Amino acid sequence: MTTTLAPATKRATAVPRTAAPKASRARRTAVAWLFLAPFGLVFLVYTAIPTVAALALSLTDIRGADLRTPFAVDFTGADNYLRLFQDDTFVRDILNTALFVAVGVPLTMGVGFVLALALNSGISRLRGVLRTVFFAPVVTNVVAVALIWQYAFHADGTVNKLLGAVGFAGPNWLDDPHLAMPVVILLGVWRNFGIAMVLFLAGLQAVPRDVYEAAALDGASRWRQLRHITLPLLLPTTLMVSVLLTVFYLQVFDEPYLLTGGGPLGSTESVALYTYRQFGAGEFGMSSAASFVTLALVTVVSVVQFRLLRSRT
Amino acid sequence: MSKLSRRTALRLTASMALGAALPLAGCGREGDAAASGAKKVDASPATGTVNVWAAQGDADVLGTVVKPFRSANPDLVVKTTLIPNAEYYTKLQAAIAAGKGPDVAQFFPESQAQFLDSSTLLPVPDGLVDPGSFFTSLWDAGVVNGVAYTVPWYAYTYALVYRADLAKKAGVEAPTTWAGMEPFLKALQGAGAAHALGADIGWDIFNGQDVAMYAWQAGASLVTSGGKWNLNTPQMVDALDYNASFFTAGTADTSGPTFLDAQPYFVSGKTASMITGPWVIGQLDTAAKQSGWTASHVATAPLPAGASSSVSFSAGGTWGVLADSGNTDAAWKLVRYLAKPSTQVAQYKAYSSMPAVISAWDDPAIKGQPLLDAFFTQLKTTRAFPQVSTWQQVATRLGKEVEAVAKGKETAAGAAANIQAYAESVGTGTR
Repeated sequence: MTTTLAPATKRATAVPRTAAPKASRARRTAVAWLFLAPFGLVFLVYTAIPTVAALALSLTDIRGADLRTPFAVDFTGADNYLRLFQDDTFVRDILNTALFVAVGVPLTMGVGFVLALALNSGISRLRGVLRTVFFAPVVTNVVAVALIWQYAFHADGTVNKLLGAVGFAGPNWLDDPHLAMPVVILLGVWRNFGIAMVLFLAGLQAVPRDVYEAAALDGASRWRQLRHITLPLLLPTTLMVSVLLTVFYLQVFDEPYLLTGGGPLGSTESVALYTYRQFGAGEFGMSSAASFVTLALVTVVSVVQFRLLRSRT
Repeated sequence: MSKLSRRTALRLTASMALGAALPLAGCGREGDAAASGAKKVDASPATGTVNVWAAQGDADVLGTVVKPFRSANPDLVVKTTLIPNAEYYTKLQAAIAAGKGPDVAQFFPESQAQFLDSSTLLPVPDGLVDPGSFFTSLWDAGVVNGVAYTVPWYAYTYALVYRADLAKKAGVEAPTTWAGMEPFLKALQGAGAAHALGADIGWDIFNGQDVAMYAWQAGASLVTSGGKWNLNTPQMVDALDYNASFFTAGTADTSGPTFLDAQPYFVSGKTASMITGPWVIGQLDTAAKQSGWTASHVATAPLPAGASSSVSFSAGGTWGVLADSGNTDAAWKLVRYLAKPSTQVAQYKAYSSMPAVISAWDDPAIKGQPLLDAFFTQLKTTRAFPQVSTWQQVATRLGKEVEAVAKGKETAAGAAANIQAYAESVGTGTR
């Protein structure tokens, strides 16, 4: 019986604590808001207000010349959005972006996964060095890299010289509408596979070793272990990596801007590049509308990915 | 939409736009309201502070060039802010919108139309400078509805720059008409150049400007007298075909040289001609790594004439005084100083910026350079691009159409129709 008294006493003493004075709770709430305030202020000024402003601008015909007289702009409803989808170049740029995502995301994930697998199992001595080497493209200055790639894929560049050495006449990669996008995607993959690799590596290291040992004792081959243990247990990581990369790639800008300028013949121009150019031309309404189309695309694709992959996890 | 809700929507939009812009750009300028600008500017010394904004490039030497002016006006402080070229207009627009613009700002005559308004710039005071002393098109580039807003500072235009040694070897002279261009280029190739013309392959606003220039040469007007876009014309088709002919005839290559390669290619003989500005004259020796190389290997000529003339476009730099300036008197005095022939010669000596004042070309420092003669001749037959705020957009899209025609993906007629449709969709920026 004595054993039940102690908890009862604890419960009795706990009651007044949950009914703490209102003043104390208010003070705690105020302190919490105080801690939140710096971030809240920065978020409000640099994210929330500009986002709402951009949404409002997308519903007007504001242009560069109107900046001094923003009250003089006309409310045009969905006109900018209609103009966007009537503009062949915007539709083309959506398709370009979709291609970049559709090819780039699985390729980046594939390369990242294979390297993570290799680093997690087969390679042990140089694991740290290789992990750093493979991650280097993520932190390398993309402007310098793009310049080097431009020279490498030039008609007289390194790639074609190497091809020439083995008897192939290389094409003009960046001036061919069919080949420029693969090169741009390749640059994107090269730049980002390190992120995928690191995340997959973290996921792989969280898989309990004894599961593999049990499977091995039951005679499961490496391939069966990969299919039935590694891949299912990595699904949460896969979901995270795929959503992250998709969001990155839907906003792809650096690679086409620096490598091809969106050409040749607009074959590598992305939605983000289109948005930037509209802004540069002073078409702030159109530019804002294009931003919100991108936001809608990112949201829809992310939700679909979450639903598809979460149902399997 | 009802009147009330429309107004509410407008206020909401404007408030949000300002709400977003002001924290970034800071609070508005406090000070006197803009002066009329039409007031005469006297010869008394300038005083106070003048803030000057300019794009990096020709303005890099502004401090040196303005030094005598500062010495003559000891009570004046000139604060110069140089901004990277690519961001210049964006930053200037944002600053003007926030009321934090400078007193004096540099503009580019080929793309300044969006600023030419009394709410942004003060009209040039009567008698400040002699409009007739400048190349006509440069002055005209700052005039809207009879009001001048900018004063020319430096000038450039395009001319034909070619390898004189290869032309001599081939026994040809610079062409004077479009018809003579292809034989001339083929002859240069026969003399050893891989591709005779180092054509611009950026497929951007500069290509749009090039073809607009060719359309003028063919006799086009880009805008009607009624202010409507006039781009789907036989002359525009001719211009697009003329430009594409360099590539289809094999005298130019769609894959190179890129902008940075243009001079090395020219010097090495991979190309033998360029349609370009006067700045190359001072740079080719460096590219060749040989002093005197330019004088012995290069010649220049005005552009070949189309069906109409050998017209080119005017470009360069201009100065304007902002409507919000709190020291308009000193600002205009500085602009007047920068427009003096002696100042423009000093600017040439410091940065090779060609003077916008015609008489400055008589200075021995410029006159003694025969390779500049073609540019001088060409500058006298230049035109200003349309003074329409959407011109940059239209020229940029025209650059894309130029690429499609040059690469055989679109006919010239189709491209002319496309650019007309696009130009009509963006309008002329007037409400």
